[in-house]
Amino acid sequence: MTDAIRVDGADLAFEAGDSVAIAIVRSGAWPTAGGTLCLAGDCGNCLVEADGVAYVRSCQVAARAGLDVRRHPAANKPVLPASSDYEPDIAVQRQEVDVAVIGSGQAGRRAAARAEAAGRRVAVLDATDGHEAVGLYPGPAVVARGADGMLHLAGHEVVVATGTAELHPVVPGNRLAGLLTKRAAQRLVDAGVNLGRVVTVGPELVRFEGDEAGHVQAVVMRDNATGAEATMECDTVVVDLGLTPRDLLARMTSGAAVSTAGPVGDAHQLPPPASDPEAVLCGCMGTTVADLQVAWDAGYTNIELLKRASWAGLGPCQGGACLPHLRAFIISRTGVMPAPFTARPAARQITLAEAAADTTIDAFRQTPLHEEHLALGATMDRFGGWWRPWHYGDAVAEYHAVRERVSLGDVSTLGKLVVSGPDVVEALERLYPCHVADIKPGRSRYALLLNERGHVMDDGMILRESETRFVLTFTSGGAANAEMWLRDWIETWGLRVHVMDRTMSLAAINVTGPLAKELLARAGLIDPPRYLGHAHADVAGIPCHVMRLSFTGEASFELHHPIDRSVELWRALTDLGADLGIAPHGLQALFGLRLEKGHVIVGMDTELDTTPRRLGMDWAVRMEKPSFIGRASLERTARLAQTRRWVGFKMDGVAPVEGSPIWSDGDIVGNVTGSWMSPILDKALVLGWQKRLPFTDTVEIDGRSAVVTPTPFYDPEGVRARA
Amino acid sequence: MPGLEPLVGLRVVADAGALDRARWSGDGPITVVRIAPDEAFAIGATAVEVGDADAIVEPEFGFSAVSLDDAGLDRVLAHVEFHVPSERPMLVQGKVAGVPARLLLEGGRTLLIVQTAYGHDLETRLR
Repeated sequence: MTDAIRVDGADLAFEAGDSVAIAIVRSGAWPTAGGTLCLAGDCGNCLVEADGVAYVRSCQVAARAGLDVRRHPAANKPVLPASSDYEPDIAVQRQEVDVAVIGSGQAGRRAAARAEAAGRRVAVLDATDGHEAVGLYPGPAVVARGADGMLHLAGHEVVVATGTAELHPVVPGNRLAGLLTKRAAQRLVDAGVNLGRVVTVGPELVRFEGDEAGHVQAVVMRDNATGAEATMECDTVVVDLGLTPRDLLARMTSGAAVSTAGPVGDAHQLPPPASDPEAVLCGCMGTTVADLQVAWDAGYTNIELLKRASWAGLGPCQGGACLPHLRAFIISRTGVMPAPFTARPAARQITLAEAAADTTIDAFRQTPLHEEHLALGATMDRFGGWWRPWHYGDAVAEYHAVRERVSLGDVSTLGKLVVSGPDVVEALERLYPCHVADIKPGRSRYALLLNERGHVMDDGMILRESETRFVLTFTSGGAANAEMWLRDWIETWGLRVHVMDRTMSLAAINVTGPLAKELLARAGLIDPPRYLGHAHADVAGIPCHVMRLSFTGEASFELHHPIDRSVELWRALTDLGADLGIAPHGLQALFGLRLEKGHVIVGMDTELDTTPRRLGMDWAVRMEKPSFIGRASLERTARLAQTRRWVGFKMDGVAPVEGSPIWSDGDIVGNVTGSWMSPILDKALVLGWQKRLPFTDTVEIDGRSAVVTPTPFYDPEGVRARA
Repeated sequence: MPGLEPLVGLRVVADAGALDRARWSGDGPITVVRIAPDEAFAIGATAVEVGDADAIVEPEFGFSAVSLDDAGLDRVLAHVEFHVPSERPMLVQGKVAGVPARLLLEGGRTLLIVQTAYGHDLETRLR
C-alpha cells in the first residue's frame, strides 16, 4: 500500500496503477450503487464526483493521493457545482494535420503507418498516450483532453480506430453491484483484486439475484437444451456476452473525411432482444424494457425518436451500453436493422472550463465616441453588434431636447456602402423595390430591402452621388447581411458594380431638433441640404457627408465623417450648441421618438416573413417596376387575404412592456413590438401585431383597452421633419 | 503586446487587373494590403493611379494595427483558429481571439490589423 484517496470522506488506500474504480472495488465496495462494470470507459456504471467534477468515469481516473471522490447517489443525479468563481486557466493547443487517428491499437497504428508512408502528417490520439479524444466535429476536427489542457486538432481526414466494447447484460437484477464484464474481471485479477466466488455466464444468463444491500448473491442460468434453470451462488458474476463496436466518437459526425479502421467498423452480432419488462436497458437513464415498449407503442419506432421518447441512450455513455440492445429491440419488431443513433460531444465528462477553453463570445464594436458617451454618464448596452448609449441618465429629458431644442445622436453604427460602376443603376433597380433611376444626384430615397419571398430584410437610404455612384445605408444590425446580399447578387448577375463597405471607416452624428439648422449654421454650414437631400460640406472644419432625413420626426442632419475626427466634431457641436440647450440622446429616447412617428425598426418590429403590406408600407414598393427581388412573391401574396397587420395603438396608463401579448375576445391575437409613454401626447403609444381575423379596432393589452390608431402619432403631415 | 495604432492610407475597390497595375504614391513607405481581389488598402498611400474609371478610392482611417515580432506572433497564433500558411509574404484573414482581424506576415515582421471599432475587444482579449 502506498497512499490514500478520499472516498465519501474516508481514506481509502490504493496501489500503484490503480484507477479510482479499481481502488474502490479492491476495498470491497462498488463505485456506484450497481450495474455491470466494464472498466474501459464505455458505460456509465462507475460515475463519481472527482475533485468537485461530477459524472466522471472512475475507471478512467488514476488514483492519486488526496484525490477527493464522492460516489453519486443511488437515486437522482448530482447537482452541478454552485460556485461561480471557479475559473481555471485551461490551455488550448491547436494543431493541423492531414490525418488524425483516434486510437493507438493495432488498427490505429496501421492506419497511421499507411498515412505516414504516403507522406501525410499524422497525429495519433489515445488516452493511454495522454490525449483523450472527447469530441469529433464536422470539419473534421477532434477535441482531446490532455494533462496540459485541451488539444484542438484539425485534420483533413479522421480515422476512428477505437476497437470494441463488451456487451452489457439486460436482465432482471442487472443494477446490482458485483457484476463485471470479462475484460473488467481480467483487469481486476491482474491488479490482484480478490473477487471472491466468481461465476462466469454467457447467453444462458436469465437473471441476477441480490441481497438487501444491492450486491449480487446468485446468478440464474437456463440450459438451452432442456430449458431447466439453475442457480449458482457467488460474490461476483462475470458476463461474457460478446463484443460491440466502440463507436461513440464515430457516431458524432459523418462524411467522406471520417472513416473507421479495425473492429470498430466491423459488423457485430446483436444480442438477443431483451424480453423481461423489468430489466433496465439503459443504466444511465434507468430506462426499462417496459419503458421502451411504451414509447414503441406510442409510435416512436424510428431509433432516433425511440431514444428521445424513452430516454434510452440519452445519458453520459450515449448508448455505449444500451445501443446494441435498443437496435435488437427494433429489429425484433421490424425485421430491419436500424442504423445506430447519433452521439454528441463530449464522449468523456469535461468541465465547462475545458469545454469553453479559449472560446470567445461575439465581439461588440465601439464607435469612436464610446469614451465621450461614458464621460457623459451614459449607460451603454449592446445593440445590433455595437456598444451604444442606452441613455445618459434621463431618457425623457433627452427626448425633450430633440423635440424642443437640438440634440446629438451617435449613429456611427449605421451600415454604409459605396457602390459604383456602369451597371450600378441596373443593379439597384433589381435589388430594391423602389425606383432608383429617377433619384437625382444630391437626392436620396428611403428603401426597403426584400428577399425573394418578398419579406423585409432591411431598410435604409439610397443616396445618389453621381450618375454611376451611390451611397447606401442600412440598419446597424443588418448591415453585414445586406452587404453580403448585395455582393452575392451583383456577382450572380455579372454586373459591373464595385462595392466598398465604409461602415467602420465613417462615423456619423445625427443633429436633430428644431434648432438643428441653427447649430449647423454656427458650425459653418449655412446652406444645408433640403429634406432628402445630401451634400459634402465642412462642418466645424471637418469634412462631412451631410444627409438630410429624419427618424426622430424633427429636422435631422446626419453628418458622416472620418472616424478619426469624430470626437472633435462631437465636442465642437456640443460647445456651439451649449446656449441652445443641446443634449445628447440615447437609444431609449430614439426609440420613443421613432415610435411617435410610427417608423419601423427592421428586426425589432418585423418577423422573418414580414411583407411590406403587413407593415402598411406598400407605398415603398413600386409594383409597376418590371422586376426586382421579391416582386413575384409580392404579386402572388397580394391576391391573398391579409391576415396580419402591424399597427399603432393608443392607450391610457403606463406603456406596456415590449413583447406583451395583445388580446381580443379572450385570445392572444398578437404582440407589442414597441411601446412608449409619450410625454408630448400624454398617452401610452404602442406598435404591434394583429395576427387574427377579423382585425378589431379595440384590443386589450396588459389588462387595459388599447385602440388602433393611424400612425404617425406625432406630426402626421411631416411638417417638422421638413422644416 | 504593444497597443494598436491607427493606420492611414487609401482604400481602393477596382477591377482586379487595374489594382494589380495600380501605382501608389505617398510621403513615406507604402504597404499594400490586398484585402480581396478587387480591394486593396494601401497603408501610407496618399494618391493612386488606377486604370478603372469607376474605381472607388477613399481615404481610410478605419483600421488599426500592431507590429509583432516572432514572440508576439506566437502569442497571437495561440488565439488563431484558422490555418496560417508558412509562406511569406502572406495575408491571412479570420478571427483572432474571436475578433475579425488580418495578419500580414512578412519576413521578420507581422502586422496584426483590425478595424478600429473592434480594436478595444481585441486588445482586451490578447492582454
